[in-house]
Amino acid sequence: MRAETRGRPGKGGLGVGRVWLLALRDLRLEVRDRAGVLSALTFLAVMLFVMALALGPEEGALRRAAPGVLWVALAFLATLLSTRAFALEVEDATLDDLLLTPGGKEWVYFGKLLFQMLLLLPLSALALFLAAGLFYLPLEKALTLFLTLALGGLGYASVATFYAGLLARLRGREVLLPLLLFSLVVPVVLAGVRATVGLLEGFPVAEVASWWQLLLVFDLVYLTAGALLFPLVMEG
Amino acid sequence: MLKAAHPERPDALTWAFLGLGVLLLPVGFYLALSAPPDVNQGYLARIMYLHVPGAWLGYLAFFVTFLYSLLYLFRQDPRYDRVAMASAEIGLVFMGLALVTGMLWARPTWGVYWTWEPRLTTTAILFAVYVGYFLLRGAIEDPELRAKAAAAVGVLGFINVPISYMSVKWWRSLHQTQSIDLTTGKIHMDPAMLQALLFNLLVFTLLYLGFVRFRALVAALEARKEEA
Amino acid sequence: MLRLEAVSKRFGRDWVLKDLTFTLARGEVVALLGPNGSGKTTLLKLMAGLLKPTRGRVVREGRALFLPNPPAFHRHLTAREHLLYDLAFHGREGDWQGALARYGLPEDLPLAAFSSGMKKRLALARLELLSPDLWLLDEPETALDTEGRELLLKALGKGRKGGGVVLATHDRALAEEAADRVLWLGAA
Repeated sequence: MRAETRGRPGKGGLGVGRVWLLALRDLRLEVRDRAGVLSALTFLAVMLFVMALALGPEEGALRRAAPGVLWVALAFLATLLSTRAFALEVEDATLDDLLLTPGGKEWVYFGKLLFQMLLLLPLSALALFLAAGLFYLPLEKALTLFLTLALGGLGYASVATFYAGLLARLRGREVLLPLLLFSLVVPVVLAGVRATVGLLEGFPVAEVASWWQLLLVFDLVYLTAGALLFPLVMEG
Repeated sequence: MLKAAHPERPDALTWAFLGLGVLLLPVGFYLALSAPPDVNQGYLARIMYLHVPGAWLGYLAFFVTFLYSLLYLFRQDPRYDRVAMASAEIGLVFMGLALVTGMLWARPTWGVYWTWEPRLTTTAILFAVYVGYFLLRGAIEDPELRAKAAAAVGVLGFINVPISYMSVKWWRSLHQTQSIDLTTGKIHMDPAMLQALLFNLLVFTLLYLGFVRFRALVAALEARKEEA
Repeated sequence: MLRLEAVSKRFGRDWVLKDLTFTLARGEVVALLGPNGSGKTTLLKLMAGLLKPTRGRVVREGRALFLPNPPAFHRHLTAREHLLYDLAFHGREGDWQGALARYGLPEDLPLAAFSSGMKKRLALARLELLSPDLWLLDEPETALDTEGRELLLKALGKGRKGGGVVLATHDRALAEEAADRVLWLGAA
């Protein structure tokens, strides 16, 4: 008889695995598409350059401006990237397929968020190195600085991914996303800049840690809220 | 009997709130103007009779929006969405009043229109969130999706308030040398002033309740027209 | 299998569906017929759970999958990659190679290079592999050649055995050949 092509439940079932798989698939799609990542890279480079030109050339001024510049770059970068979270789904009309998978819709949120972080983290590291060169940042502190960027990036991305999903099929989303986003993520930028300044000026660890705590609280609150609300707003 | 279930006119309670509020408004005005001038600021402090109730009610209104947004997300009853929207709209007005009066007050007191004071900054952020709330509502045609999306913003926006406040407060407290000495703005509360303030607070609350009920009714009538 | 109770759906001010009651029994194939704009796609999406009814309710047994027209695929993936991802997202395993062979499709060609007929076949292969309980197909006959049509009919048979099928179509002959019942949607 003909081979049976009817599928059967897999041994792995539905677990964390598919969250990773979605993130990696999107990464693969993004790399093959090239449009998104390239524009993010160019944007980052241009922004840092222009800021350095505008605020320099005096070393002291550049050093002082560095934390602010870094976080402004991160904020705009994360906003730009979040449009990629669902851009290809909308272009290819595959969003419905994801929403019809068994086992709830929260996993799609986490998968898309992970995808965001997989793009954001390397780009943040790149931003850090560029800023180190242009703004005289000490690279010995790179690790703790990167940790700060990661914490802030996670908070930013958890809100951005949620809103990107919500707005995916609406007209006028390019205008709405920044407005909705920026009003919510003020604490991230504030805390991030403060922690960065603290690290660069050698403030006591306790003080920097309190800003990290604020970032962590923000991350947890918005990750949870985003995951809970995501299934509700993805239905028509 | 059917009329009671689908009202076409504001009910007695709504009229009571609005009527009482409007009647007592001139009384509050009189009390505000007859209260003694402040020790530090003189007659300038009188703007607080508008500013404080405005801010208080703005926050209350957004809290109500938060509650009803949550209720809508759990129950999907369009009534909850209408109340949330009405409260957000009225809240925006009160909040706007608080921000404007705050800026007008700041200029002569502190010398600048704006300062990064925690409460003022958090209020501005909240204002922006709810402007976004209405822009989002305007962008969605489908009533059910619109209500759900708005409810999400209502919830996310409000839980941001304590986090924003804490972050701005800590941020502000780091400044060792403050260019603006906020203590010069402090008001010493005379009992007569407190009385006037609380009275105006009551009047504003009555007006808020009346306006929200009224606005929610208008929204219900609009929804009913669409269903026909 | 599937039950719609007094379902109405509106978009903005347009009532696309009004007060529709419908039951699909297990093992049944129902064809949706009606002019363009009569709400066939909307109805299928409601059945799938992609849309929620404005009024009334939808009761569904098991998993449903929706095949839109035209089919939706990531153009940067190959058929192999797409099927593997889809299987993983649904927590299933299946002989995707066999399926691709039976439908006459290449494994490693980017989907951007597929013709619309090929995409239709891939969509059917995907449905077979994911084997939902409820198949909801929007104009599945479009872009298929004679051989493709044979494959479609066989697939519909599999869908029937798996649970139930609802297909929206403009093709009366297909409806007659494949369906047990016909549901007519009139333009409002």
